[in-house]
Amino acid sequence: MPVSELLIGGLLLGGLYALMACGLNLIFGVMRVINFAHGELLAIGALSTVSLVGGYAFPFWAAVLLVPLLTAAIGLLMYKLVLQRLVHAPMIMTLLATYAISTILVNAAILTWGGGYKGLPGVLTGSVQLLGVNVSVSRLVAFLVALGTSLAVWWVLEKTRFGRAVRSVSQAPELAEISGISLDFVRNATFALGAAMAGLAGVLMAPTFASDPQLGARFLIKAFAVIIVGGMGSYPGAIAAALLLGVVEVVGGYFTGAVIGSALLFLLMLAVLLVRPRGLLGVGART
Amino acid sequence: MKTLAILLAAGFLALTVPFWGTDYAVSFTIQMLVFMILAYSWNLIGGYTGYTHFGQVCFFGVGGYTGALLVTKLGIAWYFAVPLAALMGVLLAVPLGMAMLRLKGPYFAIGMFGLARVLESFVLGFDSLTQGGTGLYLTPLSNLKPVYFTLVVLALVMMIATWRLDNSRLGLKLLAIREDEQAAEALGVRTTRLKVGTFVVSAIAPAAVGALYAAYLGFIDPPTAFSPVMELTTIAIVLLGGMGTVFGPLVGAVVLSVINELLWARFPEGYLAIVGTLILLAVLFMPRGIVNLAMKKGWLPAGRGLLRQLAREDGRAPPKPAPPLADDVKRVQA
Repeated sequence: MPVSELLIGGLLLGGLYALMACGLNLIFGVMRVINFAHGELLAIGALSTVSLVGGYAFPFWAAVLLVPLLTAAIGLLMYKLVLQRLVHAPMIMTLLATYAISTILVNAAILTWGGGYKGLPGVLTGSVQLLGVNVSVSRLVAFLVALGTSLAVWWVLEKTRFGRAVRSVSQAPELAEISGISLDFVRNATFALGAAMAGLAGVLMAPTFASDPQLGARFLIKAFAVIIVGGMGSYPGAIAAALLLGVVEVVGGYFTGAVIGSALLFLLMLAVLLVRPRGLLGVGART
Repeated sequence: MKTLAILLAAGFLALTVPFWGTDYAVSFTIQMLVFMILAYSWNLIGGYTGYTHFGQVCFFGVGGYTGALLVTKLGIAWYFAVPLAALMGVLLAVPLGMAMLRLKGPYFAIGMFGLARVLESFVLGFDSLTQGGTGLYLTPLSNLKPVYFTLVVLALVMMIATWRLDNSRLGLKLLAIREDEQAAEALGVRTTRLKVGTFVVSAIAPAAVGALYAAYLGFIDPPTAFSPVMELTTIAIVLLGGMGTVFGPLVGAVVLSVINELLWARFPEGYLAIVGTLILLAVLFMPRGIVNLAMKKGWLPAGRGLLRQLAREDGRAPPKPAPPLADDVKRVQA
């Protein structure tokens, strides 16, 4: 019996991972920056949703619209104040900078919301029958919105003029600039978009999972695992790997216990790193 | 000469803290020494070889747990447990280095960052052995002096080793890997072997210090053993002092420990943000660290570090003209 339940649970979780990983991927593609602060944007998204909906009684859809704007602003500020100055710096400096920003954001979140866990009960309650399995509405909505947004962003990248500009900047920044694409605009826009996606993932997980300021690091490593398994810079890779890893985590956790289950993801990531560092569908790092 | 005298005096004072200092001074110096040793180890792989290493805390934690388990389960004295913990660090680092160092740049950083979390969840998961989140409790030490002097000796060893490295062909080879790994390989530097070697060497001291720290604190739990704050502080020290320099970790450890003590007492709730801001400022405005700044301003004799930097900044600059002969003659006569 539990197999279909586990599979569905895993896929639902994977949708959130997909949204996180696509944001990370977007920023990595254009900036060649691994954003260590991405998880904190998620945590801030989740916690501000709890405050907005739980504290100030906003409707949930308002949080879905407002919170990504907030995290986009934080992301934009991060880029303007710090990362813009490090475009030509060695990679170790950008890694250290985003790592430092992540600790600053964790600390800011602890000062704002306190260190404890916060839940958001009473939002999107109820459940529906899906293939003979009871699925809670909040998880289903989270999955659909997350996967829908990831696919929409992928569509934008593939089909629109802006998407072409983003792809050309990530493939060959010099040639993109010669062709009249504003590098600065594209970088600003992708950073804001990536940060907004992290914030949205936070909003979506707030009704289901308890959120705390340390949430970011735990989730970030899973998103890292996703983009490494899927391949850095690859959208279809990230979405497929996210769903796969969601299933691995839930199924593995059922059979080996939750602690080892979440370690399974990293072990899978390490295995992929060693066997095929570019990931299943990756483009590889430009040095 | 004056600088040397001041340094020697400071070194002597640090050496004798347990004889004249208060308990507070001793614990402050122990913390500082722990960070100094971690920073010197990180400097080998992060500063010289140029690999962003977010997983040093893996070895610290493994050493800490090895030491604590040996002491609590087998009843071994801590001074035997410490070398065994260091050995454990080596045993872990050899296969790990051979595997992980095939990865470069961001992949290596993420792999090691993830590994620390894997180890932490394993320690939490195997709670029949490690007591999970409760942690292991050791009998508190009545006398801190042996721990203190072990740390002093370790710090000195790391310092001398780094100094020897900086003045050797080996050090130049590691720097060549940092600047351009492919070019180094093309010039006949055995990059893989050197990288794995450096990685393993840089794991020894953290594992030993982990065991010492567990003995000093009297307990160890997963958040202490695999603490991201520990990792971050270590990197901040090296960055602040100067990556790939002999004095960098020393200067950085002293400066950051003092800043820590001042701030920790007043704003414990904002500690992480303050360290983060320090790293950010250092990355933006002083990426070469205090030691390189001091060399540039002439407060410290310019070691090879500075020459290296000049060479890179302008390869074709003509050599500085020698002072006119007349000046030399005057100096001799005076």
